[in-house]
Order: sequence, then C-alpha cells, then structure tokens
Amino acid sequence: MSLLDSAGAAVELARGMGAEQVKSWISTGVEVELQQRQGKLERVHESSTLGLSVSLMVDGKYSSHGTSDLRPEALKAFLQRAVDGTRYLEQDLDRTMLPFEEMGSLDPVSLDNDDAESITKRGPQERQRAIKELEDGILAGSGDDLVSATSYLWEVRSESAAVFSNGFQATQARTHYGQGGMVTLKEPSGKLPESYSFFNASHFEDVPSVAQVSTDLWTKADEVRNTSPCPSGKYMMILDRRVASRILGAMISPMAGGNLHTGRSMYLDKLGKTLGSKAFTLVDDPTIARGMGSKPFDGDGRKARVRPLFTEGRLDTYLLDLYHARKLKMTPTTGGTSNVVMQPGSRSWQEIAKEQGRAIRVTSFLGGNSNPASGAFSLGIRGQLIENGEVVQNLSEMNVSGNLLELMASFVEASNDPWLFASYRVPTLAFEGVQFSGS
Amino acid sequence: MHPNELDPAAAGHFEQFGIGREVLDQVMRAALSLGATDCDLFFEHKVSTAVALSDSKVNRASTDVDLGLGVRARVGDQIGYAYTEDLSLPAMLRAARTAAAIARSTPGLAPVALSPLHLPSRYQVSTSWSDVGMDQRVPLVRAWEERAFSLDSRIEKVQTSLADSEKWILVVRPDGRMAEDYQPMTRAHVVCTAIDGDVRESNSYNLASRAGLEFYSDAGRIERMVQKAVERTVFLLDAGKPTAGDMPVVLAAGASGILLHEAIGHGLEADFNRKSVSIYAAKMGEKVAPDFVTVVDDGTLPGERGALNVDDEGNIPERTVLIENGVLKSYMHDEISAAHYKVNPTGSGRRESFRHHPLPRMRATYMDPGPHDPAEIIANTKRGIFATSFSNGAVQIGAGDFTFYMKTGFLIEDGKLTRPIKDVNIIGNGPKALEQVDMVGTDLTIDEGGWTCGKDGQGVPVSQGQPTVRVKSLTVGGE
Repeated sequence: MSLLDSAGAAVELARGMGAEQVKSWISTGVEVELQQRQGKLERVHESSTLGLSVSLMVDGKYSSHGTSDLRPEALKAFLQRAVDGTRYLEQDLDRTMLPFEEMGSLDPVSLDNDDAESITKRGPQERQRAIKELEDGILAGSGDDLVSATSYLWEVRSESAAVFSNGFQATQARTHYGQGGMVTLKEPSGKLPESYSFFNASHFEDVPSVAQVSTDLWTKADEVRNTSPCPSGKYMMILDRRVASRILGAMISPMAGGNLHTGRSMYLDKLGKTLGSKAFTLVDDPTIARGMGSKPFDGDGRKARVRPLFTEGRLDTYLLDLYHARKLKMTPTTGGTSNVVMQPGSRSWQEIAKEQGRAIRVTSFLGGNSNPASGAFSLGIRGQLIENGEVVQNLSEMNVSGNLLELMASFVEASNDPWLFASYRVPTLAFEGVQFSGS
Repeated sequence: MHPNELDPAAAGHFEQFGIGREVLDQVMRAALSLGATDCDLFFEHKVSTAVALSDSKVNRASTDVDLGLGVRARVGDQIGYAYTEDLSLPAMLRAARTAAAIARSTPGLAPVALSPLHLPSRYQVSTSWSDVGMDQRVPLVRAWEERAFSLDSRIEKVQTSLADSEKWILVVRPDGRMAEDYQPMTRAHVVCTAIDGDVRESNSYNLASRAGLEFYSDAGRIERMVQKAVERTVFLLDAGKPTAGDMPVVLAAGASGILLHEAIGHGLEADFNRKSVSIYAAKMGEKVAPDFVTVVDDGTLPGERGALNVDDEGNIPERTVLIENGVLKSYMHDEISAAHYKVNPTGSGRRESFRHHPLPRMRATYMDPGPHDPAEIIANTKRGIFATSFSNGAVQIGAGDFTFYMKTGFLIEDGKLTRPIKDVNIIGNGPKALEQVDMVGTDLTIDEGGWTCGKDGQGVPVSQGQPTVRVKSLTVGGE
C-alpha cells in the first residue's frame, strides 16, 4: 500500500468512527549515521522508521494523535480512543480546516531536495571507507594539542504523505547528507576546548569535500584556543553567519500566532511599523531549490510562497496559521518559517569591523534565553575581540545582553559571506553598541 | 493488580505483542551473530496523553503511542545500533543483524537462559493513567485556570495543561538479565500573561512526578503551583536588570541545582571522561571544592522525575556520591565506561527511547545540606544577586564553561534583598565555580518541576536540587 493510500485509509477509518474532519500524515524514513574516533568505528546507527499522525474534529472539538503501532487492530483501537476522547473537550470551530479550494502544493520536483538515488549509492563498506578518509583528513590538520577527534557522516531520507478529509492530498520527500568533525584540544591551563564543523546538504554532491571540512574545522579550532573574557562594555557585535540564526530566530519567534495570541510577543500592535534599521530586510522563501528549509505546502495545506518578514526594518507580517489567524481575527499567512534569507552585502566582516575601534565577533552561543514578550535577551558567548579588523584575543565566559527590538534597530550591515548549509541562509551580521559582560 | 506490582516472573507486558522468551533468544542470537561481545534489546511501549486549556476552553488534547525495539550490539566500546517500530520477528531480526554488523567475526557469545530481575519500587501509583478518562483530566486544568485568574487582577491570559504518560520497558541481556519496568510520569503546567500599563510579561510554573492521578489530589501542592505561576509572572512587571559583570551570586534553594547539573554533572558523566574530553577527566580523588560540598546523583528518590527502578541497560540505579566533602569520588557510569574504569555501573545508562542508544546520564542531582544559615548567606553578601528561578542551562564539557538563565531574582545590597531583577544569563567555569562556593545552606530542596536534560540529541527526565549556595564570583549578563 502506498503512503497516500495508508494515510487515506486512516482518514476513512476515523470518519467512520464519527470524526467530521480528519487530517492524516504518514511518514517513513531511513537513516544511517557513522561516528569514527581514534582509528576505529565508534558507532554505526542504521534504521528505518514509520509513523502516523492524525488530527481530528469530532462534534466541533479538536485533538491530535500519533502512533508508531500500525498493526491494523491496534490502529483501529487507537483511533477509536482518539475519537471518543475528543468528545469530552470543548468546541473550538476555529480549528475547522481550510476549504479545499484554498489548498495547494508546489511541485515537489521544483524544490529538488530529494536526492533519493544517492541513499543507495554507498554500501556499508564504502561508508566506512568514507569516514576513515574523513578522519584521516581531519587528523592531517592536527597539532600537538589534540586530545580527541571524532568524525561524523550521515545520510537520511524521509518521505511523507498527507491526506485531508476534504480531498487534499500531497506528498513530499527529502534527503539530508552531511559530514563533519569535532576536536578537543589541550591547553596548559587544563582546559579542553572543543571545536566542531558540520555540513548538511540535501544533495550528496553538495556536501563539501574532506579537505574543506578539515580546513574549516581547524580554522574554527584556532578561535577556541587560549580564551579569556575581555572587559565588560559596549562593542560592535559581528555575529558569525553560522550562529546568526540564534538571534534571528529569537527575533522571529514572537511573530508566531501562538505567541501573539497569548500576549507573549513584543510585536503586539506593531505590524507594519518600522522597528529595525533600514538595512534590516529578511525574507522567508520556501521555494529555494535544494534549500534546507524548502517545502511545497504548509501545515494548513496551503501552497508555499515567498513572504517578506522585514523590509528595511518594517515588520511586514505575522506568522499566522489558520487557527491563530482566526483567534486574532486576522488574515492567515503561514504558521512558521522555511528558509530565512538575508541578502549578502558587498564587504567582508573584516572590512566592516576595521572601521570600528573594537568589535566582538560572536562565533558560538552557550545557553541563555530571550523573553518574547519584552524582547529581553541574555546569552553566553564565545568569540573574538577584534581591533582595527584584526583578532587580538579569543573570548569565553562572556554574556551578551540587551533587547531584541533595540538590537534590530542597531543592525548596521550584512557581510558578503552567506551560509547556505542551513535553513537560515544569512551572512555574518554587524550590530553596533551591543552590551557584553566579561571581566 | 497494579502494573508496578507485577510479579517479575509472570507474563510480561510485551507478551501481548508476541514477545516471548524464544523470540528474545532468537533476536539476541542475531545481534551476536557476527561476533559482538555484548548486546542489549530494549523494548518500549509508551502511551502519552495531554490536555490543554486556553481562552478559558479545554479545547486541545493529544495522545501518542510509541512502540518499538532498539538493538545494540557491542564490540568493546564500539556500538552498532538499529531500531524498528515493527515487532514482527522478521523486522526484529533485521534490526538485530543490522546492529550486529559492527562486528566482523564469528559468534563467540551465546545468550544464557533469561531470569527476571527483581526491581525496587520507586514510583507508587494508586490510579494509573490508563484508568483515567479524558473527563477526569478536563476539570483539573479548568480549576487551575480559574484559581489563577482569581489571584491577581493583572493576569490577562492563562494557559494550563496536564500531560501524563505510562511507559513499559523490557531490557534483555545475553547474560540472562531480563528487566521489565512500568514507568509513569506526569506534569502539570500553568502559564500566565500579566499586563500593567504598557508592560506585558509572561511566566510559568510546573510540577512533575513519577505518579498517577492521585498526585493532583494534594490541594496544597496545586495551590502552590498556581500561586507561584501568578507570583512569578507579576514579579516580572516591576523587575529590571542588574549591572553587567562579575559579582557574588547567591542561589536560592531548589531549582538552583541547575548549577550542579551544568557546572559539574555533565562533566562527571563517565563517557566524556573515558575519552579524556571532560575537564574533570584527570581529577578523580582530587580536592575540587570546599569541605562542606558533597554532590550526589541519585536514582533512588521515590516519585522523583529522575527516579528509576532499573536503568536502560538493566542495572539497578544507586545513590552515587560524586563529590564527598570536596573530593571527587565517582563518575556516573554506563556499562561501557564501567568496564573502562573497572568499576560497577552506577545505573546511569539512560536513553530517550528505543530509537536511541544508552549513555551515562544524570538522574536526580543535588548538593547535600551545608553548615550555613540561609538568611546569614544573604546577610553576609555586600553586593551581588540572589537568583530565585531558572529556565535553562548549558555547558561546554571540555572547557568547563557553563551557563544558566535566571528568570527571576533580586539584587543584594548591603546584605539585604532590594530591587527585583529578571532575564539574565549567568556564566562561569565549572571547576572555578566549585572552588568558589564559599557558603552552603542547611535547606536542601529538591525542585518539584519537570526538568529535561539534553545530551547527544537525547532528552531524558531529571530532577535537581540544592540548598542555598553562594558562589563568590560569576559573570552576570545585564545592562
């Protein structure tokens, strides 16, 4: 039975039990992960998976359910309990699904994020040779201070089908291939700083070579050696492209319908207002071929489309799925982001930093949190102190704190180095006058 | 008979899925077929239910069933791992042979006859969740909401939820061990949003335990949960930020055990140490803290979220003293690290689900009471902060740098609590912070909230606790 048939059968089963609306998703996947350390294979993890999830409307009441026990009798009993249990809830007609006419899907082929052929290209022996080659490449760059080097390789394919009781049907499939490494170094102080580099791509051929991974890993390792805090104060923040998602994600999260509906959003009553600097423009683009966050349709079954989030600092949209849009009496947009894109600038981050007396380049975050209601944030960081464009000190044991709205307004410039191996496709970002606490 | 009173020799939970001893023997033999030196089969059946209220309506519920088998084959410290959600014999054998491929020789180990382990009883349940209908859950979350609104007129929105689960696990080993455990869990959550003029804030409180429905019949517990959710929310309306920089940090008793969890706990998980990548790797037997500091990781505390009758490798969890009177005494071990160090496993081998392999993990981590009066600790602090609630933390195992996020607290000025403060990250270095613990209160409290620890992509439920503790200097994020 195909995935679509299986999802459709669950819809019919639940409808036969009294559910007036049913959304059914069935997903399957295969994954292989290898980990190699000190010349031997440390871990091989290989599995295939299958699961069903459904959401139901029964007498105008809503619930959602998932199961990995797909034995026919067990599934029937599971759905019966789900339908029966839903009747005890209160009505919420805002959960009613979109009319069929408003649903749709991009052609998944246009997204080109399913490199299914490559999943079967390498057998176990070839994968083991590949990870050995990766380890050799990483070790070739090491020095006397190496304590441990671990290499990682993974291949994942997932496939899902959605069938809704109003007739909507769609499928999607995607693959992830990647490799990377993590090293632990020894310092005279007794500290054992860690550095890592991972690359993830939807097509096997887009994964960087062993040489690229090794070079990147050891460049990053240089950034964690002999760290210490620098004095507390306000600095320009150069936010590395690989970790910019931590801050941008915190800025985007309060745009979500769930946060707006519960009052946990710094953007309440601010739609259409200019909050960031003129340079701050962000777009959500689910249509990028081979994009890590690309998707043909959203959770409500609406065809995916490009959506500006901020234009020259102006808040263009809330992220409203159908349910929260109805609660807020607003027009639905979409429930979440896909690929978050900021266009690169023309200069390198070093050129941008050079204009400043001092700047802190943030290369990783450690813990911390943000408050979506007020915009307050406080995060642990590692990074580098930059003076006149040159690195003068590697940093650790420091915090960066402030308010996300103020940070957005202090955004100065995007550099010319977009990161394309994640769903946040953004370059290194520069913000001025940011508070750091250290020594 | 209640599930946790089952006779271990009687028919097990998994026999309904066709998992008998002959099947177990076949699957184990397949896992050992290429020369693995050990293996484990981990069966899991978990049924979860959640019900939630928002906009004064109990309008959302969910249920989940997770069923499957994880097979781990080992050759020394090398692991082959595979899982299946299909408990048919061919699917299980396929998973076992996939895991077995970590080895490349001929079978050397054959499974012996299985013998059920007799397990302790660390989670007493009077009314198990499978006997509780949705109609019994709904009034609970509604009552919590009504009470929250009644406590403060500035409360604008309330969301409440009740989540519960029942998990059955079966661990089978070639040395004949067979351990089946019934593991309940529940968590209640109240989230409030308050508004005062232009200021809007949100905060929450939660309770968690390995317990059944009876957990919610304690009116005092429920009142405390709702009151704390409201108090912690309105507290934020008037709170500010401290000045940024290094300063003494006094941690209130209870959830401040997050300091131990991040600064010490992860670094004492033995997998990091056997690989020499933890900052504590060469410190066993060394003095790492003042005499009055004793730190424990304990799987035996009844009803706690971190309590276990058996770990996920089939070992009985113990009370593990990590640091005794300031001296590093033990790591937390799974079987691989225990073999490396030639010690007994501490019952710390845990995994998120059958989809994951076990790792050394914390259970309930706490510091024993110390000699100082908690009030004296504040009074003896000229300037610093008093951190009272926390949301999350993180650590870099090798460098030892750790952080935790303080949601609410107070400034300490001239030995007194003054301005309320909020939303600051606190960062330090584990060994340095341990050395700088200069006062430990008498008031050990195990936090009642539902903490989840993340490691290597796996989340497991944990508990944490601490007396009031002062650290002489940590870096506080602020203005």
